[in-house]
Amino acid sequence: MAMRRFFNMGAAAALLAAACAAHADATLDKIHERGKVAVGVLVNGGVFGSIDPATQQLVGWNPELARALAQGLGVQVDLVPVQTATRVQFLISGKVDLLVASMELNPERAEILGYAPTPFYRVGGAAAIRKDSGIHKWEDLRGKPVCVSQGSSFADPLTKQYGAQVKGYKSSSDSLLALRGGQCVAAVHDSTLIYPLLKSNPEWSGYEAPIADTILPAISVVWTRKGEKDTIAAVDKIVRGWHRSGWLIDTEKRLGIEPALPLLQELKQQAEKEGWAPVTAKAASQPPAAGK
Amino acid sequence: MIDTVLQAWVSFCKPLGLNYGFVLDASERASFVHGLWVTLELCAWTMPVSLLFGVLIAAGLSNGPAWVRGPLRGFVELTRNTPTLVQLYCAFLVLNMLITQHLGTANPLTPFIWVVLVVGLHKAVFHAEALRAGIEAVPPVMLESARSLAFTRGQTLLRVQLPLAVRFALPALVNNLVDLVKMTAIASAIAVGDVTYESIMIWSHRDNVLELLLLILIYFGLLTWLVSVLGRWLEQRLRMPGYGQ
Repeated sequence: MAMRRFFNMGAAAALLAAACAAHADATLDKIHERGKVAVGVLVNGGVFGSIDPATQQLVGWNPELARALAQGLGVQVDLVPVQTATRVQFLISGKVDLLVASMELNPERAEILGYAPTPFYRVGGAAAIRKDSGIHKWEDLRGKPVCVSQGSSFADPLTKQYGAQVKGYKSSSDSLLALRGGQCVAAVHDSTLIYPLLKSNPEWSGYEAPIADTILPAISVVWTRKGEKDTIAAVDKIVRGWHRSGWLIDTEKRLGIEPALPLLQELKQQAEKEGWAPVTAKAASQPPAAGK
Repeated sequence: MIDTVLQAWVSFCKPLGLNYGFVLDASERASFVHGLWVTLELCAWTMPVSLLFGVLIAAGLSNGPAWVRGPLRGFVELTRNTPTLVQLYCAFLVLNMLITQHLGTANPLTPFIWVVLVVGLHKAVFHAEALRAGIEAVPPVMLESARSLAFTRGQTLLRVQLPLAVRFALPALVNNLVDLVKMTAIASAIAVGDVTYESIMIWSHRDNVLELLLLILIYFGLLTWLVSVLGRWLEQRLRMPGYGQ
C-alpha cells in the first residue's frame, strides 16, 4: 500500500516535471507577447540602486541594467523593487521574470534557479566598524556581535569561518542603524554599499572599513527560473554584448562606482578575443520607458 | 535514533517537493530549535507583563483620579492606533540608540527586553479596554451594596469589580492573548532569535521558504490552540451558575 502510494507520488512528480519542461521557455514567449518584461531590482540605497528623490525614479546600477536588458530584448520594462529576504520568491512565483538584485552566484542558488552565466559584476562583503574598535581583520570578529541584513550570504562565513555572532536585520539600513545604536561591533554588507557610504557621508565619519580584503567575493548574474533555456540564452547574449561594447565599464564610470572592477576589463578582453556581438544600451538620460 | 527519524522524514518529504534538508545540518537544526524556544520565552514573558499592565491601566482608567486618567487615555489611544512594528522600531532603533549614546555599553536594555516591553504594553492597552468593558458591565447595585458594607474604593475594585469584570472580559482577553502569541513574530525585525527570525536566516541561505513557513504555521497554530484551550478551561472554571449563562 505504502509502496503504491509512493509510486503514485513518483508518477505525479514525473508528470509535473514533464509539464514544466514543456513550458520551460514560455517566459520568453510571454515577455514578447506582452511586450513587457518584469525585472526585480534591489534598491537599498547608494549607487547600485536608489530612488531619485526629485523624480521618484529608480536609479543606479541595478535599475540601469534592468532597463538595458529590456532594451536588448526589445520590450518595455517593469521595474519591481525586491528585498533580499524575499527576492527569490518574487522570481519563483512569477511576479518577476528576471532578477538584477545584487544576488551573487552560489551553489545552493544555482541548484534551484537558472541564471545567465556571464557575470556583470563581482561583489564581496566589507565591514563598517567604529574607528576606535581595534579590529583589523575578519578573525578579530570572533565571538562579537555583527550586524547583517536578513538574506545576506555573508552570515554563513561570518558564523562558521570567523565565529562571529551574526544578527540579521530586516534591511541593510536597519542593520546600519543597529551598528550606530551599539548593538554590534561591525556591520557587514556588500562592499559596494559600505565603501561609498563611509567615504561620502559625514554622519559616518566615526566609522571606517579597516579590513583590507572582502569576504566571500562572488560574481553577480542575472537570475531566471530554473530551466528557462531560451530566456537564459537571450539574456546572456545581451550581457556578453555589454562587455564587448564596453557599456558596463562606461556605466560604472558614469555612476561613479569606484574602485573600478578589474573583472569588467578582463571580460571585455575576453569578449574581443572570442568575438561576442556588441550591445550598447541607449543613454539613461532619456526618461525610462515604463519604470516606476 | 533521532538522526534516523529525521533522515526518514527528509527523504519522505523530498518527492513531495519539500526540501527539509536543513534539519540534517547540526548547526541549522540547533538554531531552529533555539528559535522555537525563544518564541516560547517571549510568550512566557509578554503574557504576564501585558496582563499586569492591562489591569493597572484598566484600574487607572475606571477608578483613578483625573490626572491619571488623562495621560492614560492618551497612552491608550497612541498605542492602540499605531502599528506594533513601528513602535518597536521607534523604541529599539531610536529610543535605544539615544539611551546607548548616554549610557554607553552600560545600557541594560537588550533587544529581547524591548520586544517584551513593546508587545506587552501594546497588548496591555487592549486588555485594559476589554477589562474596562467588564468593569462597566458590573451592575451599579453591586457597587452600592459594597459601599453600604463600608468597602473602600480600592477594596470595591479588587473584591467586587475586578473578579466580575474578569469573567465578563475573559473571551476578549483570551482573544488578545492569542493575538499576542502571533505578535511575538515581530521580534524577528530586530534580530531577536525567535522562530521566525531563525527561519528567515535559514531560508535566506537555502531558499526553502515554503518548507519553513509550513513549520512556522504549524508551530504558531499549536501555541494559539493551547492558549484557547486554557482560555476555555478558565471560562468553565470561573463560571458562576446562574450568572450570565
